[in-house]
Formats: sequence, structure tokens, C-alpha cells
Amino acid sequence: MLENTGIPTPEDIDSVFPSEERLNRGAIIVVECYKKIPCNPCYTACHRGGIRPFEDINDRPVVVEDNCNGCGLCIGKCPGLAIMAVDMTYSDTEALVKLPYEFLPMPEPGMIIKGLDREGNFITPVKVIKVLNTKAMDRTAVVSVAVGKPFVRQIRNIKVEPVEVRQADDDVIVCRCSDVSLGMIRGLIRKGYTTFDEIKRLSRVGMGPCQSKNCGPMVLKEISIMTGKSMEALTLGTYRQPVKSLKLGEIADEAVRGHSK
Amino acid sequence: MMKTADVVIIGGGISGCATAYFLAKKGVKNVLLIEKGYLASGSTGRCGAGIRQQWGTELNCMISKHSCDFFETANEELEYDGDIEFKQGGYLLVTSTDKEHEQFIKNIEVQNRMGIHSKLLTLEEAKEIVPFLNTDGLISAAFHQKDGHLNPFHTTQAFADAAKRLGATIMTHTEVTGIDVENGKIRGVRTNKGDVATAVVLNAAGGYSQKIAQMAGVDLPVYSERHQILVTEPIEEILGPMVMSFSLNIYCQQVPHGGIIMGRGDENEPRDLRTTSSWQFLEEMALCATKLLPPLRNAKVLRQWAGLYNMSPDRQPIYGPVEEVEGFYVAAGFSGHGFMFGPSTGLIMSEYILGEKLTLPVETLTLSRIKQNKLVFEPSVV
Ligand SMILES: Cc1cc2nc3c(=O)[nH]c(=O)nc-3n(C[C@H](O)[C@H](O)[C@H](O)COP(=O)(O)OP(=O)(O)OC[C@H]3O[C@@H](n4cnc5c(N)ncnc54)[C@H](O)[C@@H]3O)c2cc1C
Ligand code: SF4
Ligand code: SF4
Ligand code: FES
Repeated sequence: MLENTGIPTPEDIDSVFPSEERLNRGAIIVVECYKKIPCNPCYTACHRGGIRPFEDINDRPVVVEDNCNGCGLCIGKCPGLAIMAVDMTYSDTEALVKLPYEFLPMPEPGMIIKGLDREGNFITPVKVIKVLNTKAMDRTAVVSVAVGKPFVRQIRNIKVEPVEVRQADDDVIVCRCSDVSLGMIRGLIRKGYTTFDEIKRLSRVGMGPCQSKNCGPMVLKEISIMTGKSMEALTLGTYRQPVKSLKLGEIADEAVRGHSK
Repeated sequence: MMKTADVVIIGGGISGCATAYFLAKKGVKNVLLIEKGYLASGSTGRCGAGIRQQWGTELNCMISKHSCDFFETANEELEYDGDIEFKQGGYLLVTSTDKEHEQFIKNIEVQNRMGIHSKLLTLEEAKEIVPFLNTDGLISAAFHQKDGHLNPFHTTQAFADAAKRLGATIMTHTEVTGIDVENGKIRGVRTNKGDVATAVVLNAAGGYSQKIAQMAGVDLPVYSERHQILVTEPIEEILGPMVMSFSLNIYCQQVPHGGIIMGRGDENEPRDLRTTSSWQFLEEMALCATKLLPPLRNAKVLRQWAGLYNMSPDRQPIYGPVEEVEGFYVAAGFSGHGFMFGPSTGLIMSEYILGEKLTLPVETLTLSRIKQNKLVFEPSVV
């Protein structure tokens, strides 16, 4: 895949990603340098032995998982923009990802901007935490962003374009039937539940008498905003036959009448 | 690069997620659970999620008591950031035939011997617990306060989250399409998202367990049968315990958000993988429920749905290794009680897979019992 399109496959990415166990121990780099090329600034940049010594300048860099602390010094040194750092311990729901960035305008801390995948598609909004852009870095800035954990394997770039997120209305009730707030929905989407069915089952949204007629579209809109999936791609999932709100007594009477005919 | 795993679990219902948790907790590093939909999208998310310990065999009493004890502290044990919503409102089982009444006397003896404090009640005593119970045609009742109900989605999620925290990997929306067996040994599984090399596979695919077994060339003596269920709109709290009757064919319970869940079996249900709903069920359910619990006449039906019971010849689970294929394990055939057995299932399967001594004496529930015709009959199943 990589040979033809330049886009690494999930298997390629898995092959360079640290283990879950290492990721859960704190910050570390991910080096997506898939080809043998005569280049080694990543190795020379590191003072703590985070990259295994190169025996040949054509070697592919290998991260020494116990030495690298994800400081990010090497990120701006790589001419191929092949390195990023990931800290899964940043918060319960978000990881801190440090990305190399060479375009203008520069993002600023606090901005909520677009997180992009390796193909440049918008996947999730990210919050800019820090921007390191010094002369010594040779114009490659290192931008730290907070990203929902489920997106860590997909995110590879950012686009400095504001995303519509309205934190203020977290306490708005989306589903009146089941008393579910927008904040609860957003919390679940951040945890990685991005289908209506999953969110419904964990929050009861859409399980009330109106059977999601009122709240369904709002939930889909929120999923769409937060994940970048188009509204058309989202569905309300399993639709369970609503029984026109008949009383059990009416159904029982009807059954008795039917049988005595 | 091909993925590898120490153990692959097929199925993200209560059985698969609980097993993933116990394996990860015991230090197995590379546990991979594969689920074709989302977690609890099979029978687990469609079930009544009732928990009872009133069984007729010592073995089922032990398995269900062990599970129930686990549920009591599961929020803490699994460090869950939500709530599994365990409500212990009790199960009131009513009898309507002399034979059933006699059986209950025997069952309660067994239960009490196993440390389950159930008791036989007169109809007057039963009415103290559920005042509007229509006792016409009933004989007696049995009650156990520690039985109850859980939220199946959160319970499954709690196991899954804990397993992930301990290093297990869970792939949802991924379907197992084949199992590779070489020289009688498990080699790996194929999925629609790539292959995984492994020497150990657990078939925890619920209603689909027979299909999964076939992928490894094994004929599992189970079939799946549709069971229907409905829930009413929330009403004021009127029903503390689960009310259930084997002879009248009903179970009925008010869940914490106020809706009343009820279901019943039907001998004529299709034996395939259908999970559609029928009008006939609705009528029979309404007749039965409003007769036994008249105030339910005013409850409006909100939704009806269906799920699969996976049935073994003796309606008891099949736990353990599949002898013909080394590294292949099965946890299936749970009939209508696989949810409440969940924590025990997880423990049992982790012990089988790791070759540990069994905590619960479930040796009689292996697959080979069926070939040897050593069936384990339980008098009190729905
Ligand atoms: C209407 C109804 C009411 C019930 N009430 C109760 C009750 O009150 N108490 C109780 O204890 N039990 C009850 N049960 C029984 C209970 O639901 C089941 O025994 C239990 O949920 C089984 O759990 P499981 O994890 O073994 O299977 P499931 O929950 O069915 O999980 C199996 C999973 O495997 C997945 N799968 C299948 N094929 C593949 C594949 N090829 N690749 C990947 N994944 C696959 C499925 O998507 C599914 O999620 C009820 C069942 C029904 C239908
Ligand atoms: S992130 Fe820091 S410690 Fe890790 S390899 Fe780069 S420079 Fe070395
Ligand atoms: S500096 Fe970048 S391109 Fe060069 S070897 Fe290191 S990772 Fe590869
Ligand atoms: S508003 Fe959500 S189900 Fe009615």
C-alpha cells in the first residue's frame, strides 16, 4: 500500500506504534520512517539514547522505549516530518500529541482547530496546548494538541481552521424523554462511541416515548461535529418497532375479542 | 505485519468481556477481543438482565451466587466510572400447579443448603410484597431478596473498560470470518480487517456460537431460538421485585428508570437467527401480564424487541475446551441465563485457558458431556 500511495496502512502504523503497555506509561515518540534512506538527524538530536545508535546511515530509526521520554526534541529535526510524540497519560479521555508543523498561520494555545488524518481528512477537533517555534528549530514548529484517545492512531496533522464547539451548552437537555444532556453525549463521543446505537445504550438517549424523533438528529449532529463524519454517513441505528403507545389493557382486550370471534 | 495475540476472544457480550477481564487481570498480556458489532449488541444488550439465585441444582446455585456476589461490588472491583445499576429488589416466583409447588419446596432446600436465603411464602405473604398480585389460580410463592436486575450495557462496558485498562485490546465492528486450524491445532483467526495469529481462541459468540464452531470444523450441539421482550413507558414505582412464573410463562420487572420489562417463551419460536418481533407475542404477553398484575393494564407499551437464546440439549452452558481442536474453547449454550452467569463464566473460562484449578465445580458442563449423554438437567429454567 505504502509503495503505491505513500499512505501507510493500519498494519504499517501498528508496526511502528509502541505497545499499549508502553503507551500507558507516558510520553513516547512514534517514528513513521518506513524506508531506508541516508538520514540520521533524529538519532543525533537525542541526548538520552531514545533512538538506537545507527550502524549505517541508511538504517531505519528504532526507538529505545525505555530511554525515550517523548520530549519532542527530535520532532522538529526530522526533514521528513516523520516523528510525533504521544502521551496517553495526559487525561482520562485525551492524549497529548506533539506534531511537526511547517505551514502558516501558526496556531495559538487555546485554539480549537481541526485534527487531520494521514490522508488530510478532518477527523476530530483538537485543542492547541503549546506551540514551540524557535529559530533553532529550523522553521519546523512542534505543536502540542489534546486529542480524544480513540483518534491517536489516526491523527497526523492539523489545520488551523476553527471548529464549531460550544462548550457552554453542555447542560442543555438533548433528550427530554430520558433526561440526557448534551454534556453526557459529548463525554461518550470523546470516549470513542461514535454511533447512535452505542450512545443510546449507554445514556438512554432516544429510548423514550418519542423513540428518538426529537433527540436523534441532535445527537447525530454532535457526532458529526466532533468526528468529522458527514451527517449522511450516520444513521439512527436499530429502530425498534414503536407500538403506537397502546396500553397493555387495550392489547389484552383486543386479544380476547379476536379469539372469541 | 500480521497481528498476533495470546488469546483471541470472539464475541463482545457479557461472556467475552468478562473473560477478557479475568485473563488480563491474571497477567495475560496480549488478549484480543473481537466483536462484529458494538459491545453488548448481541443477546446481552437485548436481555432482561435479571439476576436470580433460586435454582434447583447445587451447581447452578453456586454459579449464580458466585456471580451475584461479584455484581454486588462490581463497580468498585472493576473501577467503573459509570454505574452498573444493580437493583436488588428480589425475585418473587409464583407457582400455579401442585407439581411446581412440590418442586419449589425441594429447590428451596437446595438453595438454603448453598447459603441462599430464599423462602417459601403463602399467597398472603406474597401479597405483602406485591399487594396487587392477582392470586387466582396460584398456589404459593418463593422469594429471595438478593436477586435483582442490572443494566446490561453498563455491566458489559465495565468489564470491557477494566480489561482494556489491564492491557487487553478490544476491536469492535470487526467480524471473524474464519478460523485456521492446522494439524488439529488453532493457528489463527481471519477477520474482515485482517488476520491474527494465535494459538488460543474462545468462542463466546452467543447465538452465533454454532457458526463460529463450524469455522474450526467443529459441530457444536446448540441451536438459537428467538425470545421476545417488551418494555412499557416509565410509570410510578409500583413493583419492587421481579415477578416470575415458570408454569404461567412470564417474567416481569420494573427497572430503575420506571419502565416495566416483561417477556415469555414460546415453543413455536423460529429456530434460526431471526430477531424480528411479532404481534402475537404482544397479545399473549399483555393477556398474561395484566391477569397476574392487573394495574399493568394502564401501562403503555413503548418498545418490543427480540434476542437469541442459545440452547444446548440440557439448556445448561457449555464451558471448557473443545477436545478435537487444541487451543479451541467454548462458552455458549446459555439458554436464558447467560447474563447472570457472566462473572462466573469469565472466571471459569480464564481458569480453563490458563490451565488453573477450577474455583467452581463445573467439570460436568464440558462439551464432552453431551456426546457421552451425561446431561445436567435443571428443573427451574425459562
Ligand atoms: C429476550 C431475552 C431475555 C433474556 N433475559 C435474561 C435474563 O433476564 N437473565 C439472564 O441471565 N439472561 C437472560 N437472557 C440470556 C442472555 O441474554 C444470554 O445468555 C447472554 O447475554 C449471553 O451472553 P454472551 O456474551 O454469551 O452472548 P452475546 O451477548 O450474544 O454475545 C455474542 C457476541 O458475539 C458477536 N459475534 C457473533 N458472531 C461474530 C463474528 N463472526 N465475529 C465477531 N463477533 C461475533 C455478536 O455480535 C455478539 O455481540 C435473555 C435473552 C433474551 C434473548
Ligand atoms: S522524543 Fe526526546 S527522548 Fe525521545 S527520541 Fe526524541 S529527543 Fe530522544
Ligand atoms: S530524521 Fe526522520 S527521515 Fe531521517 S532517519 Fe530520522 S525519522 Fe527518518
Ligand atoms: S427526546 Fe429522546 S426519546 Fe424522546
